[in-house]
Amino acid sequence: MTLYHFGNCLALLYAPYHMAYKFSGVSEYATFSKCVYAGGLYIFTQLCKMLLLATFFPDSDIQTSGEYNVFLEILKATVDFADLLGLYFALNAVPGKGHAKILTAAIGWASAEALVSRAVPLWVGARGSEFSWRYVGMCAAANLALVHTAAAAALVWLAGRSDLPRRLAPAHAALLALTPYRAPLEAAAGALLRLPADAPALLLLRAAHAAARALAALAMYAAL
Amino acid sequence: MWLDEADGFAEIFKGYLPYYLLVALPIFIIMSPVNPVAASHEFSVYRMQQYDLHTVPHGCRSSSFNLEGRSLTSWSTSRHCVVARVQDITIDQFMEIRSKAGALLLVLPKNDTVLSPEEKEHIQLLEMAMIQQEVSAPVYFTQWTPEYDDILQDLQHSFITDDKSGTALEAMLNSVSSNGYQIVVSAPTPQKIDSKPVTIHGKLVGRSGSPQTIVIAAHYDSLGVAPDLSYGADSNASGAVAVLELARIFSRLYSSASTRGGPSLLFVLTATGHSLNYFSIKKWLEEHLDSADASLLQDVSFAMCLDSISSSGPLRMHVSKPPKAGGAPHSIKERAGVPFTHKKINLADETLAWHHERFSIRRITAFTLSSLQSHKDPSRSSVLDSYSEASLKNLVSNIGSIARALASHIYNLTDEASSEDRDLYDQALGIEEVSVKHWFKYLSSQSRAPHVITTGSTPLSGVAAALERALSRYMDVTANVHTVDKREPEYTLYSPTRAVVYVYSVKPAVFDLILTVAIVAYLTVIYFAIQFFPKFYEEYAKLVTGKVKVH
Repeated sequence: MTLYHFGNCLALLYAPYHMAYKFSGVSEYATFSKCVYAGGLYIFTQLCKMLLLATFFPDSDIQTSGEYNVFLEILKATVDFADLLGLYFALNAVPGKGHAKILTAAIGWASAEALVSRAVPLWVGARGSEFSWRYVGMCAAANLALVHTAAAAALVWLAGRSDLPRRLAPAHAALLALTPYRAPLEAAAGALLRLPADAPALLLLRAAHAAARALAALAMYAAL
Repeated sequence: MWLDEADGFAEIFKGYLPYYLLVALPIFIIMSPVNPVAASHEFSVYRMQQYDLHTVPHGCRSSSFNLEGRSLTSWSTSRHCVVARVQDITIDQFMEIRSKAGALLLVLPKNDTVLSPEEKEHIQLLEMAMIQQEVSAPVYFTQWTPEYDDILQDLQHSFITDDKSGTALEAMLNSVSSNGYQIVVSAPTPQKIDSKPVTIHGKLVGRSGSPQTIVIAAHYDSLGVAPDLSYGADSNASGAVAVLELARIFSRLYSSASTRGGPSLLFVLTATGHSLNYFSIKKWLEEHLDSADASLLQDVSFAMCLDSISSSGPLRMHVSKPPKAGGAPHSIKERAGVPFTHKKINLADETLAWHHERFSIRRITAFTLSSLQSHKDPSRSSVLDSYSEASLKNLVSNIGSIARALASHIYNLTDEASSEDRDLYDQALGIEEVSVKHWFKYLSSQSRAPHVITTGSTPLSGVAAALERALSRYMDVTANVHTVDKREPEYTLYSPTRAVVYVYSVKPAVFDLILTVAIVAYLTVIYFAIQFFPKFYEEYAKLVTGKVKVH
């Protein structure tokens, strides 16, 4: 709408990341460089994923008929397992205790994601004369991505631990396996409830999903 | 390894980055395009007429605007663009908008058939009122699309005015929930366009020995409130089609010596009609009467002008002098069985009433045949004047009766005594309905405003070229190109006639403030959530595992 609106969106998008970095205690470990490293890994992982997608799903960009091909979407989401691998490397690169590792990797990873995938659409879209709730929604969704990434990082970190209680192992494996499929899952839930693509209710649904995953991951972390 | 030095790198970020940003951000903002996003709605719009007649300005004088859209009831200042359905706006409202509002965007009805006769008449009267004077604000017309229903609905019911809401909270909620629209038209500033009207005429030579000439004339342009929307079926595609059909009928009769009539027939199609004060016929008469060899218009028996002959109602003969018994007009009147309306030429009026008055001024006996009661009929200058099957039927029957009256006058038949004669007559004067329909449809399927048809790259293009070709199938055709006087132009036309409107949905400025407050509140919640997270984790871990965890 205006530059002011752009500023609003920017604050909504990046301030939570900054606060997460500043006030969670991660910054006290002087781990800015590790965050940058995690961000670099994110970008590298995305490049690898793009190569995979371009090799095995070359027609996915051409298909714009609006037909939602469930099988193809699931296959494409499967490629997101590469994200977990990338997170694993990011976690390994961070020294320190478990929670510091997880938070540093997650913040670096999610910040890079927010910077790379959201800044340009925001710059192009939110500054125009046309007002759309889409950009506010996009910024709010980026905050949820931080929660999701933290949960995923926790799960990946837990996977490398041998002291995870045995009874939790199946639940942990299931959660980890479902991680790449969160976008198709949310789309499916939205379609089931017949929510339009930009409804505030859909955002609430995604927030609930993120909160549930985060709490589950936290419970497993606490169980160590 | 640069990663090992990255803590120093981070220091650089912390120390200098803010200052770089101070320089870089403004540069980014200046460099990037002003309006990077496309509007959610884009429509083509048609600008209202703009022309000067004898240097008296008419119509809309400006073309671009960028204003907030408002409905008929909620607009208040010149910073608003009024958006309304054309059938909803009254003439009084238009006059107020004309003097005070910033711009006007009128949505035409979905199609003509949904309008009641009263609504039609109202729109026609409105058009007349609009065109009468000049309007300084830009006025545009647009075809109906489903999106307009939403936009009009939004503008009507959730307009954002701060004074009309009951409480401050209500105003705030209203501003968040409602949609405003910014309406932008960027068009070139109005410019004079070069107009070169063409008059096409062709002659069927009668029997030698009779030097008399009968002129049959019609203008083929149309007038509507927006040039690109004036399809003008009745006024005056019908007249032009009738001239073509009469030319076809009589060219067949005149082709053999045995059936050739006495007087010569001169068919004339002129490019500018009542909207521009019959300029082309005036020029054409000047050229042919005042030039040295005035052979074409020697001894004109009478001139018959055809204007708007497809609307319902009987034909009527409009004259500026009551027809004398024994005269040629009287003979046509009797043979066609039409009543006559007498109206003196009033030179004080801005425009002449009928086509024939141009002939009458030059002392040529002339009359106009029209199915309209009066020259002031608003349907002559309406965008609603479009093709219909009913008007085609009227047109065919009217051409038939005109052809019959003309033939009976030319061959001087007193009555059609026997049925055998009548059959012969019908056969000779048969109207080709298919060709009439084809031409009527063709002419009324496109805008024929002077802005469009007289400003082609070559004078004889488009409709004029088509008519010329059609007429040249029956006779030798001459096309005269007229030019407007350079120093004292009889009329001036202005472009542009169409543009594109961008409708942006926007929120009021106060909405952004409310959004800021909401975001700050949200961030505060996040801040406290992070602050309280260790405590929450302790409780949560206790709940989940049943033992106290040390963080």
